[in-house]
Amino acid sequence: MVLKLVVWAILAFLLMPLVIIVLFSFHASPSLSFPFAGFSLRWYAEVLGNAQLGSALVKSLTVACFTALITLILGAAASLAWLRLGHRGRALLEVLCLTPIALPGLFVGVSLLVLFAQARIQLSTATIVISHVVLALPILIVAMRARLALFDPSLEEASRDLGASQMQTFGKVTLPLIAPTLIASAILAFAVSFDEFVVTSFVAGTETTLPMYIWSMMRRTVTPLINAISTLALVFSVAILFIAWLIGHLRRRSAVAGRTVS
Amino acid sequence: MKAPRSSMGSLLAAPAVLYMVVFFVVPSLILFVYSFWTAASYKIVPDFVFSNYLNSLMSPLFWTVTINAILIGLVTASITLVLAIPVGYYLVYVSRSQVILYLILITWFSSYLVRIYAWRTLLGTSGVLNTILIQAGIVDTPVGVFLFSRFAVAITLIHIYLPFCILLVVSSLSEIRKDIVDAARDLGASPLGAFFRVIAPNAASGLVGAFMLTFVMVAGDYVTPQMLGGSSGQTTGLLIADQFRKTGNWPLGAAQAFLMFLVSIVIYLAVMGIGRATGLVVKRRPARKAGG
Repeated sequence: MVLKLVVWAILAFLLMPLVIIVLFSFHASPSLSFPFAGFSLRWYAEVLGNAQLGSALVKSLTVACFTALITLILGAAASLAWLRLGHRGRALLEVLCLTPIALPGLFVGVSLLVLFAQARIQLSTATIVISHVVLALPILIVAMRARLALFDPSLEEASRDLGASQMQTFGKVTLPLIAPTLIASAILAFAVSFDEFVVTSFVAGTETTLPMYIWSMMRRTVTPLINAISTLALVFSVAILFIAWLIGHLRRRSAVAGRTVS
Repeated sequence: MKAPRSSMGSLLAAPAVLYMVVFFVVPSLILFVYSFWTAASYKIVPDFVFSNYLNSLMSPLFWTVTINAILIGLVTASITLVLAIPVGYYLVYVSRSQVILYLILITWFSSYLVRIYAWRTLLGTSGVLNTILIQAGIVDTPVGVFLFSRFAVAITLIHIYLPFCILLVVSSLSEIRKDIVDAARDLGASPLGAFFRVIAPNAASGLVGAFMLTFVMVAGDYVTPQMLGGSSGQTTGLLIADQFRKTGNWPLGAAQAFLMFLVSIVIYLAVMGIGRATGLVVKRRPARKAGG
């Protein structure tokens, strides 16, 4: 079938550069060309021995963890709110979330930079986290919106009718039902923060995250070290995606359980 | 019952709304105010002048880089959408293949910088593409124009934003019920005919939205042109970024950011106008009614 061929050709185009990077990260010689001179782990050994890289990685992981945590808390409250808001409230939330997604990172980056400058806030790890939440929170809310459309509000009402308090209903009915999607979305927030470069480059001050370190390396030379770092970053993204997928499966099960109850 | 429910809702939404207001709406407003200020010897002075806008509009450099950004944006977004449609069509109407979906997600989540770097590796004079061409005897000397050209910028931007565009296309096609497509096919329409006669008119606003979002992302991406475009890599985005990082004329950069924003809106209106004139974009309501 022609369509199937076209689709796989497009997928090959998407995947080919990544495959090449992974392949050359194991190349025994520093040249980035065929014929392949044999496999070696020398670039990985160099990467592991690079202290600057290590501290950039730790910085990125810290920022991503805080971003995911803050996004999760704000997003969980907003998701619960979504189930209770009328049309106007939902429209307001939508505009607030869709606008930053539809703007280039450059715009968000420079506007946050002028805010921090105007408020005399020193650029630091905290300003990176604040900025990443601006990018991650809308994505979480948009992702939740699709799932919440399937949520059955009568489950909450049933719980209240059976004598549960509002807090008990939150804790025992609503949260368990939306938790898997929330956690999957928080992982998404983590991934967004971990890879963010454009906004970070404006609000990082003297801090160096992993993408910023890779950027400075890229500007200096074409070194095979970047292949190894890239491969590690790729493995990391796939792992994050796999975890999100696993949780998604759990969610499907809990959604099915929810159906049979309702 | 209704009132406490919605007031509870407002209370729960408040932290997220407040956060977005303080760290997104307020900064955008400050940036707008900045665009009327002036910068004198590294100090920014509150003022109310239109000179930042006027100077930008009168500067040939600004127009050169803006036209460059618009061209890169239009060409890349068009090709990206054309490539995204068959994949979206396949995922929505032929097979909801999880494998394909996850392969797309993997490329989407693979690092932005890594993908720029990958294309630099592929297209460089001692890169993979040139080595293959030389070894196959197609060319004698490495082809230099692969890298640091509009071609390199376009192919890399397509690679970066295609997964995003595919997901947008999937979500806009998902709104069209499969029965309508099946009916058209039963009545003898070819797959392409079914697409142009049935799907495109119904999904037009979604597809235009996908095109515009891709356009804004691509035209605003200044890192890829900077790394791969060589002398053709100057875009408005880079000009603005440099105002905030190197030159230090923040008010001028702010004005240029809003001009870029304005350009996007003008292009959106133009695309919608062309769509309406050619009859591809129809008003949404009747189409919905016919569908449901």
